[in-house]
Amino acid sequence: MIQPQTYLNVADNSGARELMCIRIIGASNRRYARIGDVIVAVIKEAVPNMPLQRSEVIRAVIVRTRKELKRDNGMIIQYDDNAAVVIDQEGNPKGTRVFGAIARELRQLNFTKIVSLAPEVL
Amino acid sequence: MRMLASINQSLYPCSSSTSIPFLPKTNPPQTLLRVRDHDKNKNKNKSNTNRQHSSSLLLVSHFHKSRSLVIRSQKRPQNNMSEDTDEMFDELFDKYGKVVYKRNDQKSPAAEVDDDAESLSFAVALAKVANEVKADDIRVLFVKPLVYWTRFFIIATAFSGPQVDAIGSKIRDLAEKQFKRVATGDYKPNSWTLLDFGDVVVHIFLPPQRTLYNLEEFYANATRIELPFENENQNQFRR
Repeated sequence: MIQPQTYLNVADNSGARELMCIRIIGASNRRYARIGDVIVAVIKEAVPNMPLQRSEVIRAVIVRTRKELKRDNGMIIQYDDNAAVVIDQEGNPKGTRVFGAIARELRQLNFTKIVSLAPEVL
Repeated sequence: MRMLASINQSLYPCSSSTSIPFLPKTNPPQTLLRVRDHDKNKNKNKSNTNRQHSSSLLLVSHFHKSRSLVIRSQKRPQNNMSEDTDEMFDELFDKYGKVVYKRNDQKSPAAEVDDDAESLSFAVALAKVANEVKADDIRVLFVKPLVYWTRFFIIATAFSGPQVDAIGSKIRDLAEKQFKRVATGDYKPNSWTLLDFGDVVVHIFLPPQRTLYNLEEFYANATRIELPFENENQNQFRR
């Protein structure tokens, strides 16, 4: 349940550390985003000497949420943090590695690139 | 990172001891109940009154949930719980090894090998087509031991946008005509174009992106499949 003003961790090595959601891409008045949704976010904290700077506006895919993700088979996945991966306009990830476990739902949503860079897929 | 992935057991009410030999502690294992059957007779006189009382109460509440509870209360004599459970777990470990959970819909090893061979022939065919369109540095990696979600990776380099498009469309045509399989994913030529055929995933990179993402290094433990046309190319260069 990510909405504008939500702070998210960054789950890749793009150089951003913390994001703030400012818009959810999809329908015009969408309230909440969940795993696999694309958001527009602003970088609130960045690693020094990296291409991404503070207060830059970027796009990101949500990969982990504290709100639980339910599957049809009854499995429920709830992560400990909200995290996103920074992408560019074409959908390529800005970082080269993704950290932490991610859900396989991302593959069905055509984010196989992120899935293939992740160390663990649930 | 700490995560919580919980399986809603209520959706699998008939989880028998054969399919799930080793259940978490919260669910009373079926085997435990069976093992403890003879204890019941020993302590029959002792806890007879208690048992009847509790079971009737629980049965009144709601039957579905109470069934396990009743059995639990019956099978809990007074004190010798710990000795038996250790033995029981040892027995289960001997019998099943370290299997914690096994899905019912798993295929037999022979079927798996057949599927692998089929995927391999598909992957090699795709790699061949990529070679025909002059893709460079084609690698076919067997990644099944590393990731569960696919079997083969094909990584290739193209040198321009049109070439990426050509490789992508040729591969899609061949897959559709000969193998009747359709790739998911966006078809737009990109600096990293990805075609997802389920068990085979094709990555077409432009040279800078290939060095940037360096997928071969990330999947360095995957076994590389020898391709038939590699030697031919080398021979051509030698001549």
